[in-house]
This record gives sequence, C-alpha cells and structure tokens, in this order.
Amino acid sequence: MKKIIDLSFLFLLFAFSVQAQSSSNDEGMLGTLKGGVRIQKAQKLYWENGFALDYANPKILDSRIHFGASYATSRLGSALGSNAIKQDNYLLSAAYHFRHQKALQPFARLNLGYFHADYEEAVFDVLPNSAFLTSIDAGLYYEFKIPLTICLSAGYNLNAGTGIAGPGTLFPVFYQMSVFYTIF
Amino acid sequence: MKTSTFFSGLVLLALSACSQSPDINNDTMLDGDIIFDPSLYQPELYLVSAAIATPSTVQKNTPVVIAVHGYSATTYEWDEFRTYADAKGDLLVSQVLLGGHGRTYEEFKKSTWEDWQEPILTEYNALRAKGYTNINFAGSSTACPLVLDLIQKGIIGDNGMKHLFLVDPIVVSSDKTLTLIGLVGPMLGYLETTNTPTEEGHWYRFRPQETLQQLLKVIDLSRKELQKGFKLPVDTQVKVYKSIQDPTADAVSAVLIYKGLKNSDGTNIGMEMIDSKLHVAIRLNGRDNVTQLDRDNQLHIFDDMHALLTQ
Repeated sequence: MKKIIDLSFLFLLFAFSVQAQSSSNDEGMLGTLKGGVRIQKAQKLYWENGFALDYANPKILDSRIHFGASYATSRLGSALGSNAIKQDNYLLSAAYHFRHQKALQPFARLNLGYFHADYEEAVFDVLPNSAFLTSIDAGLYYEFKIPLTICLSAGYNLNAGTGIAGPGTLFPVFYQMSVFYTIF
Repeated sequence: MKTSTFFSGLVLLALSACSQSPDINNDTMLDGDIIFDPSLYQPELYLVSAAIATPSTVQKNTPVVIAVHGYSATTYEWDEFRTYADAKGDLLVSQVLLGGHGRTYEEFKKSTWEDWQEPILTEYNALRAKGYTNINFAGSSTACPLVLDLIQKGIIGDNGMKHLFLVDPIVVSSDKTLTLIGLVGPMLGYLETTNTPTEEGHWYRFRPQETLQQLLKVIDLSRKELQKGFKLPVDTQVKVYKSIQDPTADAVSAVLIYKGLKNSDGTNIGMEMIDSKLHVAIRLNGRDNVTQLDRDNQLHIFDDMHALLTQ
C-alpha cells in the first residue's frame, strides 16, 4: 500500500513538473495530456481502482482520437482488507470523440491489454489466471473550464472467463469513471 | 445447473418475440405435472429421518450424510453415492430435495432461494432431534452456497456437523452473462437447456428467469459472505472437490471458498482440484460420453469422502 501511495505522489509530482515546463511550449505541438484516477466496477463483482492517462493531439484527426493508458486493480478496491481476489488490468486504448470541440463529448473506445489474477496458492496453479483483454466501452467525457475532466462509461469485455478458458473473475460488463487533471 | 448458453437466449430474443410459457411435454419432462421427484412419494426411501422412526444407539453414531443436489436438479444427482454407500454398509445417506424442485415448472418458477434452502435445515434439525451424533453434509453446485449461508449465519453451529463435502460448488457462474439476468430475464421469460433422455425426467428443461435471478442472488450473497470471510464451527471440517474445467460453476469458485472460509482455528480448509470437464463430477448416470477418467474421478471422490467419514 505504501508503495502505491509513493507511486501516486511521484506521478502527481511528475504531472505538475511537466505542466510547469510546458507553458513555454507550443500547445499544438504537444497536444493535450491528462492524468488522473480511475474507478471501475464490474457488474456483480469487484471495485477496481487505479490510474489513467488520456492524450489527444490536434494533428491527429483534429483531436477526435484520444489515446489512453490505464491501470486498475482490485488491490485498490474490493481486495483492500477483504478476501477478494487481487487482480490487475493494464489497458491501452483509442477512443473516438464526437462533438470534440464541445465541453461534453460522447465517445466510443476500443481497449486492448492484459489481465492477471493472483490466486496465491499452488493448488490453483492449474487454473487460468491471466488473459489478453479486449473490451469496448462508450460514454461521456466532460471538460470543465478548470483543468479537470470527468469521463463516465459502460463497457463490455469480449473475452470474459467461461469456466473452460480464461480467468473466472474476468467479468463481461463494467462501469468506469475517470477524473483527469490536465497536465499540458 | 447445466448451462444452456445464456447467450443463445439473447440471440433468441433478438430473433423472435419469446414466449413466456414453455412448451412442456408432460409425459417425458420433469417440468410437467406427471413426473415428480420420487422422494416426494416415498420420503422413507430418501430421508434417514423418515426411514428410521426410532434409531438405535449404533445408528445414532453412524455417519449420516445429508446429500443435496444443485439448481434445477433432483435427488437423482446423489443416487450413485447412495449406491456406493449402501455397498459399503457403514454410512447412512439422506437425499434431500431442494424446495421448489422436483415438482412442476410453475412451482419451480415461484420458489425463492430461501425455499430451496429450507429442506436442508429441516432434515438437519430432524436428525438432531432424533439424536444422531455424526451428521455430515455433501452438496453439489448450488447446494454449496445454500449450506455455507447456514454456516455463516451460525444456524449450523459448533459440533453440529462433522464434515462438509462440497462438490463443484458454485460461487461464480461459468456463464458470466448470468450477471445480466435482471436486465434481460423479464424479456426472455425462461431459458431452455438440452437434456439427455435420462436427464429429461430428473432435471428441469426450462428454467424460469425468476429462478435464475434467485440463483444469481444466492451465489452473489455467498461471494460477498466469503469476501468478508468466516470460520467453520468447532469440530467441522470441509473438503472441496472442484473440476478444473467446469462449464457451469467456474473453477474460480474454489479459490473464493478457499480464501473466505477457514477452519475454526484459522487454518486452511481441504481443497482438491479434479482433472475433469464435468459439472458435478460425482454424477455420471444419464450423461453421454462418460470416459474412464470420469469413472476414476467419481470413485476417487467417493473413496475420499468415505475415508474421511469413517476415519
């Protein structure tokens, strides 16, 4: 837990330092980078929380396409102080934003990544506990006048566990909220 | 619970307006109003409490196994264990029919998971009242969260049961789309499964969406109870047998039970992963394509249970 707090602190420090340096840079060259927290809930399963980055550049389809990276884990959610399985989601994503010049932007997103669950005991080594992730989600993205953005979405994992293949705690339907701070 | 695919149900919904009433063949299907579970007619052949009016001292000290089937099944699921136990001659088996099961589709439809659970407690209390001192439980699939709930709530307390055998317990369904049953269930009405001719008279073919919602409710409750964690009563041991590739109850259910349920002294419970693709590996009768490995697994589980019960 201490490691995670330390990492969060370093991340924020990095974000503020990049923002300070970027004021003299050409905004159009760099695009827009946002970093923040992600809160995720799988339907009938765990809360998995973590961090997310969001990047858009006016040179790429006039900022209609956003690229993202995220890490969400039950270690920062349901597994905190409970017997929930510790599991991690690492995702890279590409989203298409509609109404991209407005404050409120509906979007659709494709996510690819990796999932790992820690079953902890050797007796469960025979069970699948990791998988490549492919999911889609759609939702709303709202940019406040202050450098904050909130993003809400609902999604579907295309390769949820089936009992025969795939990790059993990889569930299909999930809901997400991300709150971003604009780094530059 | 044998899974049809829930996804097929969704496709069915997309293709056509789904009938809310299934087409039941009364002559061949358990769902109808002719075929019922035999324990309803002759409880003395299934329940130890009904079979023995006044148990002797020897009988009171003989291990009694309350054997309970899963969702949509009947007492048939534990018939092979009864045959095994009868051949051994040193066990008594009480095959309990879950509430709402083994009757008509309509009765199944209106039952709740609490109704399903109630006969387990009734038989347990009846055995206790008659002075049995060595009461045990063997459950398959949905029977497992039902009895774990009784343990978690303290209804089955210290020195109440000696052994709990959990065969392919379900805490997480293999078919993850079950999590959406609350949304799409009312549109579907029911789901249809495929049974072999033998299974047709012992398992419901049509599963009312109301009962699937109840199933989701009880396994979700069990998952949350395990997530918080609880201990077994004093003098109670658990052994879990879990098929590695279970098409109905995801094998991760075993992980959740192992993490959430501890012995009364805080030590780990017994756990064995079985090299099987069957759901409820102890029931082979009525299945198609049973392999030698399936037979070996069944015998191994029965032998292991017997050894623990008679040690």
